[in-house]
Amino acid sequence: MAVKEGVGRPMDIITTRFGTLSVQSQDELLFEQGLIGLEDCRRWIVLTDSKNPSLGWLQSIEQGHIALGVVSPRRFVPDYQLRVDRDALSPLELSTLRDAEVAVIASRNSTGLTLNLRAPLVINVEKRRGCQVVAKDAHPIQFALNTPTVALKKTA
Amino acid sequence: MLVLSRQRDESIIIGDNVVITVVDVRGDKVKLGIDAPKEISVHRREVYEAIQRENRQAALLKPDDARLLDPGPGSTKSE
Repeated sequence: MAVKEGVGRPMDIITTRFGTLSVQSQDELLFEQGLIGLEDCRRWIVLTDSKNPSLGWLQSIEQGHIALGVVSPRRFVPDYQLRVDRDALSPLELSTLRDAEVAVIASRNSTGLTLNLRAPLVINVEKRRGCQVVAKDAHPIQFALNTPTVALKKTA
Repeated sequence: MLVLSRQRDESIIIGDNVVITVVDVRGDKVKLGIDAPKEISVHRREVYEAIQRENRQAALLKPDDARLLDPGPGSTKSE
């Protein structure tokens, strides 16, 4: 079991990338419907990468081995525009769209690092709620980044 | 799989609150209208499944893989 919980106290979660983390309930982000294909992962926390300030990690509270690298899309794609069905944002209970933050998930394929511009995460920071939405435009699911052509380290 | 034939402007109802209507038929292409509660998301299947696969792949990313992430010179700070 990855989670030990005490009432009103910080809880420890055991993660494969970051070791044991102490999490307060006010740090949690709730994705009511999970993510697409990760529907059971509803509770998450956000960490900043220790070496790269552009990069955040969304760490699953329920599954210690699941974490997603996330970035602000406009930092990498300055003209990125997100259009979604208004209903798609209803789980966030946004009073105003200005409370919404958009993040996109980074991944890696055989050619290098990519960003999923088609299915970003939208977060209501104030209410600590998030959801993954599918953009109305046909943005790439694997937007290739200009990462150096140095061969990426093979993973174990 | 339940298979039904419908003509233009005909509908099917799934459960008691999802209605699918054939809006137009033109050659090979069928235009469908979907009425569903807002809590139920509706997506083209191949897009949904591609996103599922991508999320699961992305969940394998390690910190070392992502260190090469670099917005590059001249990128704007987050808005």
